[in-house]
Amino acid sequence: MTEPRNPGISSLPLTVPVQTDSSSSAVEMDPVEYTLRKRLPRKLPKRRNDVYVNMKTDFRAQLARCQKLLDGGGHREICVHGLGLAINRAINIALQLQASSQGALQLAANTSTVELVDDLEPEDPDEAGEPMTRTRNNSAIHIKVFYPDPQ
Amino acid sequence: MSGAKVKMREKKMRNQPLSVQYPSAAMDAGSSTQNGRGTSTTDRQGPAHHRGGWLRGHQRDRGGYAKEMPRHLTGGYFAKARAAEVSAMLKAVKKTTGSCHVFGALPKHMRRRSMSHNIKRLPHRLREVASRMREKSLQAGAKKKEQTKSKSRKARRRHGNLLLEFNRRQRKNKWLETHIWHAKRFHMVKKWGYCLGDRPTCKCYRPCYRAMSSHCLLQDLSYYCCIELQGEEDRLLASLSQLTSKETGPTFSAALCVSGRRQGSVVMYRAERYPSQALGPVSFLWRPRKQGSTHRQLWIWAHPTMKQELLSELQTVCQCFEAVVTPVVPVVLPPTKVVSTLELELKADETPEATQVPRAKRKRSCKDVAEPPAKKILGDGTRSPSTPISWKSSSTGIVINDLTMEIVRYRLIGPHSHSVLTETLDAATDCNEITKSHPSSLWWPEHCKDESKMTLHQQQTDIFHTLKGIYSSAELPSGTVLGLTVDDPRLTLPTKKVKALPCVKKAQEVDEEKRRELMLRGAPEDCCQSFLWEQSVRDNVTENKISEQELNRMRSEVLVPGTRLRPTPLQGRVPVLLVHQPGKQVGHEMSSWGAGWDLLLPKGWGMAFWVPLVYRGVRIGGLNMSLKHSQNKGAPHFPHDYPDCQAGVRFQEEQEAELLNKFKRRPPAKRTNYIKHGCLAPFRCPWQQLVEEWELITKEGREERKGDSQTPNVTGSDTITEEMTSPPDIGVTKPPSHFTVLRNQKSLRILSLWCRPSTSKGQRLCRVRDVAPLDSSAVTAFLSAHTMSLVWVRLSLLSKGKPELHGMICAPVVEDLKLLGKKVDIQGPQEPPHKNHVKSLIKRKKTGSKKAAPSSKTEGKGSDNATEPDPAAAAEGLKTSPESSTDATLGLWPDPLPSITSHCSRVTLGWVTQGDFSLSAGCGEALGFVSVAGLLHTLLSQPKEHRGVLLLRNPTSLHYRFVKINIEV
Repeated sequence: MTEPRNPGISSLPLTVPVQTDSSSSAVEMDPVEYTLRKRLPRKLPKRRNDVYVNMKTDFRAQLARCQKLLDGGGHREICVHGLGLAINRAINIALQLQASSQGALQLAANTSTVELVDDLEPEDPDEAGEPMTRTRNNSAIHIKVFYPDPQ
Repeated sequence: MSGAKVKMREKKMRNQPLSVQYPSAAMDAGSSTQNGRGTSTTDRQGPAHHRGGWLRGHQRDRGGYAKEMPRHLTGGYFAKARAAEVSAMLKAVKKTTGSCHVFGALPKHMRRRSMSHNIKRLPHRLREVASRMREKSLQAGAKKKEQTKSKSRKARRRHGNLLLEFNRRQRKNKWLETHIWHAKRFHMVKKWGYCLGDRPTCKCYRPCYRAMSSHCLLQDLSYYCCIELQGEEDRLLASLSQLTSKETGPTFSAALCVSGRRQGSVVMYRAERYPSQALGPVSFLWRPRKQGSTHRQLWIWAHPTMKQELLSELQTVCQCFEAVVTPVVPVVLPPTKVVSTLELELKADETPEATQVPRAKRKRSCKDVAEPPAKKILGDGTRSPSTPISWKSSSTGIVINDLTMEIVRYRLIGPHSHSVLTETLDAATDCNEITKSHPSSLWWPEHCKDESKMTLHQQQTDIFHTLKGIYSSAELPSGTVLGLTVDDPRLTLPTKKVKALPCVKKAQEVDEEKRRELMLRGAPEDCCQSFLWEQSVRDNVTENKISEQELNRMRSEVLVPGTRLRPTPLQGRVPVLLVHQPGKQVGHEMSSWGAGWDLLLPKGWGMAFWVPLVYRGVRIGGLNMSLKHSQNKGAPHFPHDYPDCQAGVRFQEEQEAELLNKFKRRPPAKRTNYIKHGCLAPFRCPWQQLVEEWELITKEGREERKGDSQTPNVTGSDTITEEMTSPPDIGVTKPPSHFTVLRNQKSLRILSLWCRPSTSKGQRLCRVRDVAPLDSSAVTAFLSAHTMSLVWVRLSLLSKGKPELHGMICAPVVEDLKLLGKKVDIQGPQEPPHKNHVKSLIKRKKTGSKKAAPSSKTEGKGSDNATEPDPAAAAEGLKTSPESSTDATLGLWPDPLPSITSHCSRVTLGWVTQGDFSLSAGCGEALGFVSVAGLLHTLLSQPKEHRGVLLLRNPTSLHYRFVKINIEV
């Protein structure tokens, strides 16, 4: 993932939720001197009913996975997480699930901010000195999809 | 008659009585008459027509039936003659042929396997003979065994004798400290002067992959050689800079690496020879600076195959030629030199004083007096003690130490490897006041007295605890180093295997700020310091290790069984270094896959750390897995994928010999006919020839373009002419220049952009920076610098298929790309089967040689005519004839290969050096090299939307598959 730093480009596809350059960088780097290397977003332990949505996997496949968890997986609730560009898709999945359940499912959405880490590696490391690391923030959404309690 | 037939006949005749012989159809008539006459002299007088019974049919040369029929016959003579014959016959029937076992007397359907050991299964009449033979064979067997076996098993397994035996066995090939552990569980191979585990005997390919991608895989990398350089910083940097080039990325002088906070890696070349003559990749680690000192220490870790070259090259650039003769201390060290009271007790058993123990040990002690007790070999066992391992220079003041086998290196791969480490290791506990007050020969109590050292230890411990709060090893900056002193991990060994997992609760407890700091910057500079760097501490720790036996004794004395030993014995403090290994760094997919940690230990402590690590639920991988690891990372693996290094060339030769042997072991009818598959070199990759041919093609193309400004398009007719012309041309025009592998980061980046299709998603990426778009002028400029280069590429298959070793990477023609455009069913094109010219050639040669020898003339003339080769093949045949006579294997091209590039219907660009179904990508993936000239030539002629699509064909198949090319920087 070595793309020369260029504020115009949106992110490259990642395995885990895709993020975009939403926050404008505080320090403007000389585009020639540095290589940008994005680290993966921090992972947290995952339960079985957590679904992290990304932009690489087919949408229908992700929807089917959620459906399967709710129907056959024996979970009363699942959490759909989306980061950055994938927020839209996470919402889409949650709504589709709700629509296909004829109102049996309910949604509860939460938003949060995730801190991401970028490494800036100087192309000529001997002279430029230390490679820099900076953090930026990106938005995330966590949607709880659940069957409401019977009472 | 062929040799085999003669032999068979001889065997048959061996036990025959002399007077009776069977005539055979193959024998000519003359001999049969001889036979008839020789049957018996008495027969002469007997009636000749009886002989007709022996001879079948009409005997030609006797001219009909016997001329002179006897008029009368004498009864007595006749009966005598028949009696002799009958007795001979009976004798022949009784005598068993072949193996002289009794079973031979039985018809096949009556034989049973159990008869061989149970005589009572045999028919009664044969039992006596069988029992006699059995006795005989038993006696013979006993005699033979007597010779080989010298000691009883019990004696052999006795500890001292076993050690002697082990030491003898590791004289030739070094054993790692985990050798015995591995030998029980792995297929061991002898490679590079070591005995190494190749792959586990159990079936665990997928579990190992899963361990790498989701938990942790452990490998013993102690066979990697460590070379230590000591000297002034600027002098070291100045001499090392000759061996590297900044174009290939960060070098030894990268600021972060010099500070000692990060481990670096670099490809080294012979002095001032970049870009040719590569030595190979190394990783290196600087020791952090001490205050006010410019004296630095540097460790270079290299693969054993390149060690000698690297060492000699380092000696040249550092001008270190004076071998420092070290006193041969470690070998003849008396065991009671630096030991605590505890050790003394233990060792007393082994020293000759133990002879006072009256009976039990008399035998052993006698021997002990004769020779010193066998000592376990630690470190390098194959090296003779007089070999210098240290060189210094009087002019530059640099000292080079060869630390091979001095430091144990374990690699943990996987996102949870840090949690395995935090579970296994415990930061060293402080020693109490009483021990502090006494002077001690151990290193740790001495260190405890020093306040500054203890604060440093506290800092390191804090950081190590922070590590628990991290979920994945990939979150840390790549190459982070952390020094640490830990307790003996055997003390905290769990009773059962448990799987180490990162703990969520711990994550909350750990200070958030510290965790952030660690993630962003890694460990601070002073925390990278470790006492592992100091020779004296290393020796002390190795010398004073508590033996397993002693530890078990101490455990047995614990009041509550199974609890931890308290207080921790003083010897159980070990300095270690933890080095973070970056995962996949190139490419867009699966980034930082396979990240992990390396654990460096002083020698002698290998097993003490290995077993506790294994008890944390890690998988163990062998050489095979490290290959797969680098394959999934898309990185070249050292001896395999460095064709420009000496070690790589050697590896390729070995591999070729091995594959060829394997090929020849198959019966000829079951071998793949590589000629028919159009595969010129199935067992090796003639890179040099490939590069030379492509250079020629580009040159021709340029001239052609100058002539009529037309892009060269290699068509069928083109290939034929090339096939005829190119090989001799190369010899004439080209001064020998060796191919190189392109490692220049900037050029690779440009090439990587050119390879992408310029549509949709690719468009966005291509826009980056002002890289010249792909056109002929840019290509010409690029090629002027890198004509003789190969470039490392990753190929992913677009459809099904599994690429194999030495598969051919080819350029598609225009029709193929049209096929791809339809998208209905992307089956690749087929290669038409090739004609096997070489076969007929070999055959002809064979028949020719037979004709020269007068023995056989049975070969049909007609068949010879039918396989008369066409003129083109004849021309080739003339070319190949002198060599093919030496060693021609059917199905393989004899040695001077015809033009490689244009041998098949699609032009060859390169070969695959690693190929497999990639579990991480979910499709077939291949890694290999292509010629830069060939690649650019192909890319230029491709339409924009299909740019970067190539064809891949396995050596054993005629089917081309579409692949997508990726050059990752």
